Amino acid sequence: MTDNGHNPYNPIPMHVVRAYFESNDHSLKTFELVFDDHKDCIEFFKNYNPGQFCQLSIFGKGEAPFGVASAAWEGEFVRFTVQKMGSFTQYIHTLKAGDSIGMRGPLGNGFPLAEWKGKNLVIIGGGCAFSTLYALTKHVHHPQNRPDFDQLIVIYGARTSGLCMYKHDIQSWYQREDMQIHQAIDVPEEDWLHHVGYVPDVVREVSPSPENAVAIVCGPPIMTKFTLPVLVELGFAPETIFTSLEKRMKCGIGKCGRCNIGPKYICKDGPVFSLAELNALPADI
Amino acid sequence: MIYILEKKELDQTLTSWSENFDVFAPQKVEKYSQFVPFKSFSELTFENPHNTRFPPKALFLPQTEVLQKYRPNLNQLQEVVQTPKPRVIFGVRPCDAQAVTLLDTVFNTQENVDPYWKVKRDASIVIGMGCTNPCQTCFCTTVGYGPFNHDGLDALITEIDEKYFIEVLTEKGKSLFTHLPPATKDQELQVHSLQLEVKENMPIAFETKNLKQKLDKIFDNDYWQTISESCLGCGVCTFLCPTCFCFDIVDEVQRNERIRNWDTCMFRIYSQEASGHNPRPTRRERTRQRLMHKYSYWLDHIGKIGCTGCGRCVRYCPVGLDIRAMIRTASNVKSEVIND
Amino acid sequence: MNELERKLKTEIERLFDEDIVDLVIAFKKADSPLRPQPAFYKNKAELDNLNYNSLCQNNLANYLTKYPHTTRIGVVVRGCESRSVNALVVEKQHPRENLYLIGIPCKGIVDIRKIINLTGEEVNDYTEIDDEISVRVNGNKVKLDRKDLLHDSCLRCVHPNPTNSDVTLGDLLPEGDPSIVRQAVESFEAMDRSERYAWFRHEAERCIRCYACREACPMCYCTECFVDHATPRWTESSVSPAGMQAWHIIRAFHQTGRCTSCGACERACPMDIKMTYLTDKLNENMITKYQFETGLDDKTQPPFASFNMDDKKRFIL
Repeated sequence: MTDNGHNPYNPIPMHVVRAYFESNDHSLKTFELVFDDHKDCIEFFKNYNPGQFCQLSIFGKGEAPFGVASAAWEGEFVRFTVQKMGSFTQYIHTLKAGDSIGMRGPLGNGFPLAEWKGKNLVIIGGGCAFSTLYALTKHVHHPQNRPDFDQLIVIYGARTSGLCMYKHDIQSWYQREDMQIHQAIDVPEEDWLHHVGYVPDVVREVSPSPENAVAIVCGPPIMTKFTLPVLVELGFAPETIFTSLEKRMKCGIGKCGRCNIGPKYICKDGPVFSLAELNALPADI
Repeated sequence: MIYILEKKELDQTLTSWSENFDVFAPQKVEKYSQFVPFKSFSELTFENPHNTRFPPKALFLPQTEVLQKYRPNLNQLQEVVQTPKPRVIFGVRPCDAQAVTLLDTVFNTQENVDPYWKVKRDASIVIGMGCTNPCQTCFCTTVGYGPFNHDGLDALITEIDEKYFIEVLTEKGKSLFTHLPPATKDQELQVHSLQLEVKENMPIAFETKNLKQKLDKIFDNDYWQTISESCLGCGVCTFLCPTCFCFDIVDEVQRNERIRNWDTCMFRIYSQEASGHNPRPTRRERTRQRLMHKYSYWLDHIGKIGCTGCGRCVRYCPVGLDIRAMIRTASNVKSEVIND
Repeated sequence: MNELERKLKTEIERLFDEDIVDLVIAFKKADSPLRPQPAFYKNKAELDNLNYNSLCQNNLANYLTKYPHTTRIGVVVRGCESRSVNALVVEKQHPRENLYLIGIPCKGIVDIRKIINLTGEEVNDYTEIDDEISVRVNGNKVKLDRKDLLHDSCLRCVHPNPTNSDVTLGDLLPEGDPSIVRQAVESFEAMDRSERYAWFRHEAERCIRCYACREACPMCYCTECFVDHATPRWTESSVSPAGMQAWHIIRAFHQTGRCTSCGACERACPMDIKMTYLTDKLNENMITKYQFETGLDDKTQPPFASFNMDDKKRFIL
């Protein structure tokens, strides 16, 4: 064993306390996990920063990376929203309160909050990639953190209203005075009071000012691809546009070599990168 | 300090070490040479072939390694990191030892140290055999290393006229070579001048100055399509390479084990994502990734080329692709200057 | 260039001049005299590096499945390669009308490992004039006998002449003796079960799962190989006895009625693993039980890839 006894490949034991569907088609399910050992909990929150991800692990089924969808102040639990895609996520969906699950994390760099102090935050998310942006928003909401940032604008698009995550909480955001929330769906629906259209168009509509602002974009590759030029058009400099990347991962700690884009590992140097950093990397995604 | 060991005493020396260590040395296994526990002097293969088929990285990063054993119903793990018996790895070529130090920067890190690698590394004494007769496929000097390099070695042997001249490089190495007669000043000079002569006589296969910048510039060039045309996309170059380290992690359900296996960026499924998207869909992207990793991205990480010039990929590529020629041609590609 | 290479060059030039092909797959001199590489000529500009000798060890039919069906491909084929091409045409992997086969009767492929075993690794030069082969080792010229150097599959070759080629360069050669391969298969069968299993394990367990055999084989063109399939996981990817045995035996079975015994798999293997003994046995079974030999023409369906109403077992797999 190593000097400090820490084997970074060993999952930390956790168990599910709450599990509930986010989307009406049951493709998205949120899990709130707590640590079996309180020491692990303390260690986790000592290092955790919104924008980071964890490897959820079930022996015999596999391991996969998921963005953390909760802020530290929310309690001694960690929230993940899992989309049912393949065999592993299908199995995770069957978990209920009391079931065990392993976790390795927090991994990755997370959002550079220190760099963003005093700035306006323009948070743009699409689909299930909104989970880490939700964590970021929740983090900013806390009275101790809110003064660190100026304006807070959140733009969140989903294909349909049924696929929107965190509906209940987001509803309450409309009543808040310390932020703007703009939700969007792709096609009109009865009883939908908010934007209709693709996220890049909604961004153009909302037209956030680049003045003293940073924009954070997380969504399916196609959404990001069309949103970034809109931000550039609005005057955001590449150093002020951030995104979170995904690639097939295994170790999550920069050793297995798999998730690289050029010399950067998404698991270790990312997953959060600025557009300026991405422009310097080869087109390998 | 250089010590002398008579070649005819090597057998006895290796046997005496076997009392306290597991001794590994390159010996003939089947039709080729491999690092296996020392059996007998007559099996040692330093002359022909010059190097083992499989690199000694396998002694630190086995091709298949159990990361965890778990009990199915209790979801508990059994610790499997075991400190191996102290071992001597004898007869490692400097290119392979250099490669192990390159891999140390990946596995033996301050943060998130890989315990499986570390325990094996800490338990090993690595004795190098310098190359007095480099092969035509060797190109260690081209990539900034050399046939008598010290990196990664606890001692280095230079063979001259049936004598092994041993340069002890670390305390660990020293512990193995006590009570050997020291070389005279003249002999030391002879050793060093031979080493220099061999190094300088090795042809330079390609220019490395500004190579990284050139490769970065031609990332989108058609050149990568041409050189990947005959590439089969197998794993021979990767698995025989002493510096390649990518691995996959899988759960082997029938044995309740989580295992890591060597993997290669040359396979299509290496970068295949759950959504079906593959950032490297054709051999063009995959061949490019391998070459860029070795000759560009490693330089970004630690300022050194991630290839130590051992030549195994050149010798065993099923279609005869030669990485030296590929890099030479890359350096000569005319890249369009856009908006410079 | 020797005479055959000159004839080949002229033919390839003609194919481009008359716009018969978009691409010609042949071999070229590359970086080492012992290792000619597959070449992909898109025009006649670079034909000066064209190479054809007994060191050309790859089965070029392998590359046909990498191009769209609309590409008109000229390819240099020897006996076994031409049968691989026929087998691919039968499996609809490339339309025959978009192929131009330049056939060359083959005296056998020289196994570079046999050269190295005889002379050591530092071979600097290779010359071949008909059956006279010589290499240069440490400055000295060493003469070698072709029959000591031929790859094992070539020693058992029955069909050295290209079948179904559009043009044949060189004189036709006599057919090989089918009893040689039959005897090899029978001597393996003569071993008792435990000996056979021990031999199989002895070979298969050296495997490092590099899949060079699969990638070198023209018939292994599945976009997803069974070893890469995750749900369900058919076989483990680790280097464990079970995984390695499964890989070898299942790949051999997937070749039944499709393999042309070219030996490209063995030549590609970095661990010198023998595997043709498995496919040779399965090919013999095809001959005796189904009177079928792979690739003799580009029309006949292989028995395991087709179903007729009067087939004995009435089940659909």
